[in-house]
This record gives sequence, C-alpha cells and structure tokens, in this order.
Amino acid sequence: MKEFSIDVPVEPPTELKPLFVPIPAEYVEDAYKSDEFIVLVGPQHPGSGHMRIIVKVHGDIIVDAIPDPGYVHRSMEKIAENRLYIQNIPLFERPSIMDNANFNLGYIRAIEESLNIEVPERAKYLRTIMAELCRIGTHLYDAAILAVFIGHTTGFMYPFAVREIICECLVRMTGARFTSSFIIPGGVRRDVDKKVLDFVRKATFEIERRLKNFEKIFIKNPATIARLREVGVLSKEEAIKYGVVGPFLRASGVEYDVRKIESYEAYDDLDWEIVVADEGDGYARFLVRVNEINQSLNIIRQAIAKIPEGDVISQDLFEGVDSSTKNPKDIRGAFYDVFANLTLPLGETTTLTEAARGLLLYTIVSDGESNVPYRVRIVTPGWLYLRGFMESLKGERLADLQAIYGSFGYFPPEADR
Amino acid sequence: MKVEKVEFDALSRIIGHLNAISVGVKQAIKPERITTEYPRERRKLPDNFRGLILFEKDRCISCFRCAFICPANAIQMELYDNYYPSIDYSKCIFCHFCVDSCPTTALKQTKIHDVAFKDLDEMVVHTDEMINPPELLREDKITVEYKINGKLVLERKREVEDLIVDVIPVKRIEYHSACVNPQNCLGDALCALICPTNAITVVEEEGRRIMKIDTAKCTGCGLCVRECPTKTLGLVRREG
Amino acid sequence: MLDAIFEMFKGNMVYIPLIQPIVNALMKIPIVNYIVALILWKPFFAVAILPGLGGIMIVLLLMVYWERKLTARVQWRVGPLEVCRPLRGLIQPLADGLRYFFQEVIVHVEAHRPYYVQLPILTFIPVLLPILFIPAGEIVAVRSQYAIQIIVALIALIPITIIAIGWASNNRFAYIGTVREAMMYFAYEIPFVIAVLAMILMYGSGDPYVIVEKQTVPGIVMNPIAFLVFFIATLMATSRLPFEIPEADQEIAFGPFVEYSGILFGIVMTLAYEKLYIMCLLMTILFFGGWSGFAIPLLGDLTPAIWLFVKAVVIMLIIALSRSIYPRFRLDQALRLGWTSMLGISLFSLAIAVVKVWWLG
Repeated sequence: MKEFSIDVPVEPPTELKPLFVPIPAEYVEDAYKSDEFIVLVGPQHPGSGHMRIIVKVHGDIIVDAIPDPGYVHRSMEKIAENRLYIQNIPLFERPSIMDNANFNLGYIRAIEESLNIEVPERAKYLRTIMAELCRIGTHLYDAAILAVFIGHTTGFMYPFAVREIICECLVRMTGARFTSSFIIPGGVRRDVDKKVLDFVRKATFEIERRLKNFEKIFIKNPATIARLREVGVLSKEEAIKYGVVGPFLRASGVEYDVRKIESYEAYDDLDWEIVVADEGDGYARFLVRVNEINQSLNIIRQAIAKIPEGDVISQDLFEGVDSSTKNPKDIRGAFYDVFANLTLPLGETTTLTEAARGLLLYTIVSDGESNVPYRVRIVTPGWLYLRGFMESLKGERLADLQAIYGSFGYFPPEADR
Repeated sequence: MKVEKVEFDALSRIIGHLNAISVGVKQAIKPERITTEYPRERRKLPDNFRGLILFEKDRCISCFRCAFICPANAIQMELYDNYYPSIDYSKCIFCHFCVDSCPTTALKQTKIHDVAFKDLDEMVVHTDEMINPPELLREDKITVEYKINGKLVLERKREVEDLIVDVIPVKRIEYHSACVNPQNCLGDALCALICPTNAITVVEEEGRRIMKIDTAKCTGCGLCVRECPTKTLGLVRREG
Repeated sequence: MLDAIFEMFKGNMVYIPLIQPIVNALMKIPIVNYIVALILWKPFFAVAILPGLGGIMIVLLLMVYWERKLTARVQWRVGPLEVCRPLRGLIQPLADGLRYFFQEVIVHVEAHRPYYVQLPILTFIPVLLPILFIPAGEIVAVRSQYAIQIIVALIALIPITIIAIGWASNNRFAYIGTVREAMMYFAYEIPFVIAVLAMILMYGSGDPYVIVEKQTVPGIVMNPIAFLVFFIATLMATSRLPFEIPEADQEIAFGPFVEYSGILFGIVMTLAYEKLYIMCLLMTILFFGGWSGFAIPLLGDLTPAIWLFVKAVVIMLIIALSRSIYPRFRLDQALRLGWTSMLGISLFSLAIAVVKVWWLG
C-alpha cells in the first residue's frame, strides 16, 4: 500500500529561543517536523520543583527527556573556600535541610579523619540517632511530595504531621527544628539528657502508630499502587549503568549501603538490615523507603537502649588550646577557642556517607596552613541519580512524569548545591 | 531484607479500597489533630531553643569572638564605652555559634522566635536594644506541650510561658595576657592599640618601646594575642 | 394579555402555609403582586429557586466550605477558620468569591477572546437545562414522560462547554486537558447510560413521578449494582478524585482552566460542583426515593422540594470524602476501568433489571 503523507508546514515555536533552553534549535525543528511535540515542564509548574524537564512526547508517550537543572545553584563549593572550616557547617546543611544531620556528618567526618580525632562513643550514638531521625524526616517529606504529585492530599498531610513529631524530637535534642548545626568535629555540641532520649524513644512508637494510618490510606491504596507499579522501571543492570544511588539503587535489587559497607558512627554495633526490592519500578522505590523508615525507627530504639554514658566532646580538641572552659559535655564558652583556628594538615580527605537519598561524597583538600579549605567537593545523591531518573522517564506516559518524579524524590536544591 | 510483595489481585484490591475508606471515615469522625493555633496558643519550647539572642553588658569582655565566628557575618561590634556586639537579624541564621563562642556567657539564648520588624534597617538590632527583650504582643493564653504516653497528646495548659531562659554562666578559666616571648617584640604597639580596656601601656626604656600589661585591668579577651604579629604575647592562667 | 399571564401565574402558585399571610398581603399591592406571582409560579420557582439556581448557590457555598473542612479534618488539620471565627469560618466561600470578583481577569494574547470570555458564562445553559426537567413534587418546570432520558441527554452537553473552554484558551496544557476531558466522557458515558436504562427498565417508565411512586423500597436496594455504576460515573463525570484527570493540577495545571483568572476562574471552577449537583438530584430520584418523605404541614408544596434538595445535598457531602481518600488515576487506567469493569458491571445491572421485570414481575 502506498503511504501518503501531507506536508503541513509547521513552524517551531519561537518562544523556546529566548528561554535559554539547553537544546539546539534543530532539536525543536526535528520534533515539530515529525509527529512529536515538546512540552516544557517547569520551572513554574506545580509538578516540577525548581527545575525544568524538556519532554519530547509522541502522543502521550515520552520519547526523550532532557533535564535543565541549576535553578537553585548556590555555589556552595566556592562559598566554602572563603570560610573557616567551622563556618561551613551551617552552609553544608543547606542543600537539603531535612537531611541536615547526614549532610553535616559527611563533612565533619572528613575533618575528623584528617585531624585524627577520636570521637567519644556517646557522641557517636547521638549522631546516629540524629542522622536516622533526619533520614525518616526526609523519606516522609519525599513520600508527601509523591502523594501530592499523584493528587493525594491526605497522603501529603499525614507524613508532614508525622514529621512534626520528628521536629519536636530534634528541637528538644538540638534546639532547632532543622539546620541544627549540632554535630561538630570531635562530637556534638552538647549532651542530650535522658528525659529527651526517652521522649525520642516514645516518639518512635508514635510515629509507627501514625504511619499505619498512612499505610492504609496511601501506601496500600489500590489507586496508588495502580499509579506507581510498572512505571519508570530501572533494571538492575540499567541502575548500575546510570549510576543510581541510595534507596533507588536498592529498589533495583542491588544490595549497597554505605552504612554497612564502610560503616561509620555506631551503625556497626546496631542490628539492622539493608532493604532491597527486585522490581525497580516506582512502587518498589517508594516501598524501599517506607521500609527504611521502619529500619531507622529500629536503629533509633536500639541506639537509645545501648547509648553509653560519658563525654560527648573529644578531649583531643582541648589539648594545647587556651579555652576558657574545658567541659567535655558542653561546648559552650569554648567554641571559638577550639574551632576558630582549626587547620587541617596538608592533603586530601574523602568520606562517603549514606544520606537519606543516597550516596553523599565530601572531599576536602587542604593546603596545610590556612584555616579555610583549599577546595571542598560535594557530590550529592540527587545529582548522581538524575541520569537514571531521566532514563526511566522514556517510554512512559506524560502523566507518569510526576509519579516517577515523586518516586525518585528528586530534590533540586540538593542536586544543584 | 526483601521488601514484602504487595498483592494486586481483585480481592486484595477490594480490601485495599475498604481499608482506605475506613481510615478516611475514622479520621473524619475522630481526627488525631496536631494543630496548634499559633497566635492564640504557643508550643512549649525546650530551654535550649535557639531563638533571639540577648546580651548582658556587664559580662562582656569585648573579645570579638562572636563577631569572628559568625558564619553569616551578622554580628558587628559597636563602639560605646567599649566594643559590644550588634546583630543584623536579616542575616542571622540562628546557628548560635556566637552564643557558644562567648566565654563569659554574655550572649544568651531565649525562646523568642516571632519578632516583627518594619524594615531592613530595623532588623539591625543594636547593643542597647539587645540588653532587654523586645516588646512582644503576646496573644497566646495557652501553652501546648507535646506529651507521649503511648499516644501523642497535645497537653494544653492555661499559662503564659516565660520566653526568657535563665542561663547558668559557664565556669570560666581566667586568663590574662602576658609577654611569653619578650625577645620577639618589635615594639609596634599593636597590642596597645587594640586593647579594649587600655590595659597595655607603652613605656620607653633604653631607646626601646616596651609594653607593660596591667593584669588587673586585663580581661583575658585574647585580642592582643591574636593581633600580635610575632607571637610575643600569650594567655596565661590567672593565679588563685 | 397581562392579566391573562397574571391569571396563569396565580393559578399555579407554590402554596407555603408558613409565608402565606405575607404572600397574601403582597398580592394586594399592585406591581409587586406580579413579581410575587412570577416568583411563586411553579415552573419559575423550580428553575430559579428550588431545586434550581437558588439551590445551586446554597450548594456551592456549602459544598466548598464543607469540602475544605472535611478534608482538613481527615488530614489532621483545622481548615478555614479565620473568616468569621465564631462560625468556624463558615463564610470562607463568600470571602473567596469576593476575592475572585475583585481580581483582575487576564485574557492572554493567544486566546480566542470572545469565546474565552463568553464560555464560562454560557456554561450555565447546559447546567440549567436539565433542571427544567427535574421535578420536586408539584414544583416542576416541564413535565415530561421521558424526563429521565432528557436529563441524561442534556447532562451530556456539559463536557462540550469544557472542551470549548479548553479550545478557546489556546494553551498546551489546556489542550491536553481538553483531550482528557473528551476521553473521560467516553469512559463513563456508556456505563452511565446503561445503569440509568436498567433503572428505567425496572420502574417501567422514564417519568420521575412514576419512578418515585414505585419506590416503596429505595432503588439502591432494588439494584445496588446499578447504583455502584452510577456512583462511579458521577465521580468520573464531575472530575472528583480519583478521576480528577482532566484538571490534574500537578500534571497539567488545571487543564482546560489553566489560563483563567479572577471571576472567570471563579465561574468555571463551580462548573464541576453544578454538574455534581444535577447528578446527585438524578441519583436521588433514581435510587433514594426522590422527594418522598414525611410531610411538613407548615411548608406545604415546598416539602417535596426540600426533601429532594436535602437528600441530594447529603449525597454530595458524602461524595466530598472521596477527595481525601484517593489519589488520581492515570487516563488510560480510567478508560480501562470504564470500558471493562464498569461496562461489565453495568451490563450485569441491566441483566438484574431484566430478570426482575420479566421473571419476577
């Protein structure tokens, strides 16, 4: 049969030119000459966050997706080069404020490794509790965003309500709801008393109880399952190939968790498991994180039960410093004397941390004499799995973009740094 | 640990629908609300809450530590009879590094977190405004506290919480500055210039300028130690 | 001529004992008596007051408030509260309406200007047309033997206005939303018609009066399967969650209504509620015994209208809960649901009706 085609002169929209879209003009023309068209999702779109995704669709099916990140780039690495080592602590928890403890932990462990400071056991446990609280908070935040992306407003509110309990725990421990800046080289800023730890332990049970409601109304809701299963599938090989990290890698069946492989803080002393799923679809990615919340609650309970008495600030810090107080349970009064002239020995230190959304890498390069870092390199999980996120979009429907976006929990400020 | 497989056949779907609807109806009848109606109620905050910073002038030794450590450059020292800190709250990120840096507990945390400013200029809070807590229009009559006894309960009490925290001053090791390496001294008198209490005087002796330190006047702030280019000065523990 | 019309009005007036003395007094005043007679003329009353426009206004104010408040309650929040605190924020919808009213209406350059502005107002026509045929006891505009069939046919007009709105907006998202709306229309319409057909078969007539008379047992008990189909079709037709697919604000930013602002948005936003109201009136007549209920002597002719209205509103208030329970299905899933499960169930309900009529009498 002879194929007929009607040549309709199609003008590619000129509006794409002044938008500084990172695609060549021919790309747009090609799309318009074939049967496809281009949809710009974001950055002012209710379902895109602070980024733009340039989506080429054929009918309702996504053919190609090009990310356009960088709308919330804050040049953290460059700012860090002009600040004291200690002043970078509040800076480096900014990329992902829900996940502040994990982000601080990576940076501070790099400093400690370089200076060879032995952290007291109690401080390690306190850091572990904080890191896990932040992990739960981040997973809940992502679950909430996923829920609202697929139109479930109750699924948005419940995790935020549960996160309020976590905020209450954190405010009692550190004095701030987020951006606690509580972890310092050599320990934590001050000891947390028994009453507060008891509250945190009780809160874990309350979180678990409230999550049961969330599970019934959102996680196990057939409509949610229908939206998320078999959507945005990344096979094990693909996930490894595209360098996906964290819970999203584990959802594709790869058992990799920095907390187990290069254990830090108190994770080695505690009994917990890596959560893995085989499917690699959106629902598996979501379920892995939901199960990780349960694991984290378990870790917190164990850590509170096992926490030893003792100092929270390393004695090494006070050696050779004329600080006006040398209290190993509270840094108050000695903060400046101990940390202001912190100088790292010449060399390069790298740490890997398992942040809530995956692998977090910090590299500090020091010139050995100045009290500011020569170079700090952060590689955040969001940036690492952006490629896998874009690849998983291909071949899905346009309506699935938000579902996949939510299932990855992509957080532009974190990826852009 | 493998994630449990979620069934998706017809029966489990119907059960899923019924479960979801049952939770919806249950919460509609008896919700587990956690709302605090903020201006009328106020959450009880812990004593270590990092809020607005107050200043106690008598304790301050003008050591500039708070201004140096501030990651956001929010603290400027202002000259009165001596140098005292002022905070620009448009920059402040409430990390309280300054509070922790203060060796004499002159800076104190409070639970105040809701001060309104009219413009950006007003957000620079000068030293004399930091001594007394700002005037707050308190609408709250009820204090809400999170309590967990098996279940989260928002305990509401008819009381107005005091937002000022009693801070116990840290036990301080007293220092005073001294010429620990007198042979290094260049006689540039930078220490005398920087000293906020004028404890250092310059004396001419045998054609050389020698610094005399009045240990009674010295507060041990360490500014001269930091300023000295040749590491002549050092902090020495005060006797007794 | 005028007197003839006046006599016609007077001959067919709503009799309400509660306000009858006032009506009598007003009827003695010239000019005013014409207006009073017109308002209380049954066909006019049905369209303009109850269950017509007046009912729609009450429903809009109540529904918007109730939906927000109920959703907030399920979600461990409080909901609108600050507008008139003693009434727990009851007049919030009024405040919202006022805000819409004073907001600037932006008509963007590429929109088809005349249609873009007209269509939101024109949407009232297909909404009000079915109301002509919905009777509430004696209060009825057009009495027809085929009222139910006509109502179903007229409801099918409403999506056309939405599609026209999307076309006039000339926007990518509006276009996608329009296509989705058209697709959804095909998903629910056939099962919906079959479910109504099953009920008409069961009652043996499309006349609401016969239907209400025959419902000694409510229709929901007689054919629950048809009710299920009707209920899901109502959710689909009015873009309620889980079928809020044409408007999906996270995906296509309110779809056909993406470009609207100000009072025009206020009007198009109410469209779904108006459609829901009509569907609920129809549902009440078919499944919940219509306007039957115990008589309130003080209200006279108004009693059936009140019963119909109250029943429909209660159903609407229950439907509002779906918003807080479900996420949104994808378009292809909704279409699959419409063309497989719902079509199957609706045919099953038709079979039940056939069995009941021919074998059981």
